Amino acid sequence: MCYFLIMKIAIAQISPVLGNLKKNLAHHLELVEKARKQGADLLVFPELSLTGYTLRDLVPELAIIPERSEFFSALVEASRNIDLVVGLVEERPDNPGIFYNSAAYLSRGKVLHVHRKVFLPTSGMFEEGRFFAAGKDFRSFSSDWARTGVLICRDFLHYCSSYCLFADGAGLIITISAAPGRGVSDLQSQGFETSRMWELMGEAIAFFSSAFVVYCNRVGVEDGATFAGGSFIYSPFGKLITRLPYLDEAFLVQEIDLEEIRRARKSWPFRRDDRPEVIWQSLEKIIKEKQ
Amino acid sequence: MKINPELVTRVLTKFISDETHKAGFERVILGLSGGLDSSVCACLAVRALGREHVLALIMPYRDLDLEGQEHARKMAELLQISYRKIDISPQIEAYFSAFPTENQLLRGNKMARERMSILYDFSAREKALILGTSNKTELLIGYGTIHGDMACGINPMGDLYKTQVRELARYLKLPEEIITKKPTAGLWPGQTDEEEIGLSYEELDSILYQLVDLRQSPEEIISSGHDEKKVKRIIDMIKKSEFKRRMPPVAKISSRTVGHDFLYPYDWDK
Repeated sequence: MCYFLIMKIAIAQISPVLGNLKKNLAHHLELVEKARKQGADLLVFPELSLTGYTLRDLVPELAIIPERSEFFSALVEASRNIDLVVGLVEERPDNPGIFYNSAAYLSRGKVLHVHRKVFLPTSGMFEEGRFFAAGKDFRSFSSDWARTGVLICRDFLHYCSSYCLFADGAGLIITISAAPGRGVSDLQSQGFETSRMWELMGEAIAFFSSAFVVYCNRVGVEDGATFAGGSFIYSPFGKLITRLPYLDEAFLVQEIDLEEIRRARKSWPFRRDDRPEVIWQSLEKIIKEKQ
Repeated sequence: MKINPELVTRVLTKFISDETHKAGFERVILGLSGGLDSSVCACLAVRALGREHVLALIMPYRDLDLEGQEHARKMAELLQISYRKIDISPQIEAYFSAFPTENQLLRGNKMARERMSILYDFSAREKALILGTSNKTELLIGYGTIHGDMACGINPMGDLYKTQVRELARYLKLPEEIITKKPTAGLWPGQTDEEEIGLSYEELDSILYQLVDLRQSPEEIISSGHDEKKVKRIIDMIKKSEFKRRMPPVAKISSRTVGHDFLYPYDWDK
């Protein structure tokens, strides 16, 4: 699938305005322009980048039906010369009143793929399950650049999600996130303890999937919670390529060499030796026995 | 329980600056008692917004806490922030001459609410957001006056235990005398928090940390070496003070009710 080998990925580690689509759209379009000027091929925004995170009862008020939204069409239009990943509250035209925490991959002026968040954190400080419906699948898709999969925040912490994308051939796994930081007892780190959790997962998933892992987390403060930033890219060999600062807004364009996917898979044939049918049969047995 | 003070400072200054601007303010105001919490809070506010955007009110009652007054003045001068001394004695005297009481708690609560009332008035006059200075220890055991010192616009200190505030104060290089003096709510001359609560802050914070942060059961905490009576008393204090940490319950009649299922974010459209 690699038509081009060097890909420039831009990461927008931003702080959206909570509940203000108009302001957020304007900011998105500014950054699209900025990324284009720097020659980026893909620009990734964080989870719910168009709305902010702590939405609660704002969820239905901010929902977008991508096919019908004039507002969203401005973004789709902006993707003619650069691929975009944006976070939105999505509603389907044939299923009104059901709202998803979604990530849309836009390319060549079209919606190429939509991922609806499957694992909605609903405990402690999180209440997504109260306001959103859960997505039902993990699928990879082919962009101009690579077989790609998109996950949203907590999805990535359930390693089965990445496995599905891997089994579906992904060489590029993009996770968009709105992860608040927690834990300040690590004296060596400039970030929250929870940032380490994401990095650990990023490193492991990249290495064992022989895939690039792009993680775009937001920053800013909402209702007392501070989003941790610290977006990153890991190579298919599990090496850290870049990490954005913790806590602060940042914008970065990073070149990656897609040939690395092939090199990693020659060295470590996890992909060749994968047996999804064995996993599937095992899961089937486990699920049946539990019932 | 250890904190990375550099990171905490970064998070809290960001919180103060973001939330102040989101609320539409350029400046903050706080009551400066000369104690540890308000001193640390003032220092963080200066780092977040610059000294010209921080205003302190020193609000003594007679000469109840002369040392506190002196420390407050010293802190304000050290930070080079504007401060104003407002003696609350006349209005407190006027009230208690009409409704006399020797109950120190009633008198202390009244003073805390008088200070709150002045802070809110000056918040409007000076267009400055009120910074709360209640720490996590106080919030959890309810060691504060509801609608008094607990009232504020935003609270940067509420997730730090008292002993952690002290750690932060050391990092921020606050004057040693403010860091090491016995904490007091200034309820009566010579009053100290630890005597009134009946536990040292070290012990109290250690129990609270195990109970709240580590989610240990009371039995686990007792078997780890803490006194059973103390553990039970702390749990009792937490239970009895839940009303101070919440908006009052609204009687539900309709299908959508404030506080039940009318749920919007604090930072709506900000």
